[in-house]
Amino acid sequence: MTRILLSDKLDNCVARWRKAGLTVIGPVKKETSSSYATVEKAADFDFGIVLPDRSIKGLFFPQTEPMMGYTIKKQDIATNDFAPPTEKRIIFGARSCDASGLAIDDPLFGWDYKDDFWFQRRNETVIVTIACTKADDFCMCTSLKLAPDSTKGSDVLLRPLQNNKGWLVEELTDRGREAFKEIADLLLDGSEQAAPLAVVPEKFNLDACVAWLKNPENFDSTFWKEISMRCIGCGSCTFLCPTCHCFDFQDEGDTYSGIRRKNWDSCSFSLFTMHTSGHNPRSTQSARWRQRIMHKFNYFPGKFSVNSCSGCGRCTRQCPVDMGITETLQAISTLKP
Amino acid sequence: MKIVDRRDEAPGVRTLKLEFQNPADHEHFKQTFRTGMFGLYGVYGEGESTFCVASPETRKDYIECTFRQSGRVTSVLASADIGDLITYRGPYGNRFPIENFYGKNLIFVSGGIALPPTRSVIWSCLDQREKFGKVTIVYGARTVADLVYKHELEEWEKRDDVDLVLTVDPGGESPDWKHRVGFVPTVLEQAAPSPENCIAVICGPPIMIKFTLISLKKLGFDETNVYTTLENRMKCGVGKCGRCNVGSVYVCKEGPVFTAAEVSRMPQADL
Repeated sequence: MTRILLSDKLDNCVARWRKAGLTVIGPVKKETSSSYATVEKAADFDFGIVLPDRSIKGLFFPQTEPMMGYTIKKQDIATNDFAPPTEKRIIFGARSCDASGLAIDDPLFGWDYKDDFWFQRRNETVIVTIACTKADDFCMCTSLKLAPDSTKGSDVLLRPLQNNKGWLVEELTDRGREAFKEIADLLLDGSEQAAPLAVVPEKFNLDACVAWLKNPENFDSTFWKEISMRCIGCGSCTFLCPTCHCFDFQDEGDTYSGIRRKNWDSCSFSLFTMHTSGHNPRSTQSARWRQRIMHKFNYFPGKFSVNSCSGCGRCTRQCPVDMGITETLQAISTLKP
Repeated sequence: MKIVDRRDEAPGVRTLKLEFQNPADHEHFKQTFRTGMFGLYGVYGEGESTFCVASPETRKDYIECTFRQSGRVTSVLASADIGDLITYRGPYGNRFPIENFYGKNLIFVSGGIALPPTRSVIWSCLDQREKFGKVTIVYGARTVADLVYKHELEEWEKRDDVDLVLTVDPGGESPDWKHRVGFVPTVLEQAAPSPENCIAVICGPPIMIKFTLISLKKLGFDETNVYTTLENRMKCGVGKCGRCNVGSVYVCKEGPVFTAAEVSRMPQADL
């Protein structure tokens, strides 16, 4: 016997959660793109989206965010640190790859200096993931040893029912249980079957790729130049990626007052590593693409024991020149380690 | 921090002497700062820049930083006046383990604007001179004017417990230049310090480091006795913003101080 949430109760759930002070967020389709956005009623959700264009990352690590403010009067400088937002949220209908991406970045934002902006949002957000029953040609979670129903980073996992009338509920964490207490009476007991999961064929052999990347000799391989020839350095892949975390600080204001912002940055940009002297350690686009792949599958796992990729496939799906991690790792799979 | 003194070192190169405004920050600095560490200095409205702490760990009442005026932040820092306040975060990174150098001969090799990090180590050692053997400093710049810390070069030249070898690149000499002319690695090879019981500390532009490492190898130095400091572009200083890494090594966390052995294990193309 499992608990079931029927789709026609969702409107009620949204109302309950909103009443309890939670902002409800879910997959929403706008005119030209889809994203995770605030919803007010069940009809706002679009569960037909295979994967929203924008990843969940921006809800925890916004594209731009004020960190502190300053005011200067003569010789007095007054600063105020902006506190991380305390808004309580529930993301209903996250994709498993997106939820995994958050868990992947937790150790990064937590080591050495703990980023309160990230963790405050993580702690105040309940993530309700819906297992995928549809996938497209770009999905590659299985290649990363994840699955359409991975529970990593999720507080609750929902499995769509075979009759498409609701979801089986698997509460995974206390945070998830707490949020579902609000709607406990709206859940039913049932024995319906879950719909079959999306079939996501394995696109490359991850272990073979990692072995090749770990061989120092391959760092200077001509492969990098060949595979990245098309890259125009636009940075889309890094911005859409649920795990890419590079950022920059910029001051905005004048001599007397302003704010310091943390903005997304990208290892694809030529100025990213440029020294003032003009020396640039990663001076070519191929060096920058190599950094991106190496970082995700060699450096990051070396530090945090997890690949910095959850297989969402956005880097390939939305690349303007049709490149992406999939193509690169597929090519690496065929090389001798 | 408050600017309490400033000094022009070379055309476009300036040193600021800074004092802490907040006793707790000063105490933190005193507890944590060791030579080789860096800080992020900035001006509100402009941003932050990364420089080493150029003052030694034996003098912790203040911080000195030396920089070349070249970008947005350094231009504003360069025009800042005595009494002005600037921002500082740090100290970050690892350090030169100078207690491991006790009883050994030291050779410092430095080029251009890279003397400031070396100078922090030099004074940290000279302030406890009796703990070290022979001290040799090889320093070069493009032109005579570009030599920084000229007053300290004079001081080191006068000391009989320091051997100072100065050089400028060919064409950079002035009519009254009494020292050497030639690139730092070449001059280093001519000075031919013995690798016996000797630690080398080198810092300079990437191309100088590259050739100096080759020269030191020729002279017989073991890679584990050669220390350098890598100064990559940084924003956060705490291992998150993603730009300072060379291969898997984050310069802000695992560096900036590395032995030549560690540097040789890094992917050379990304240095």
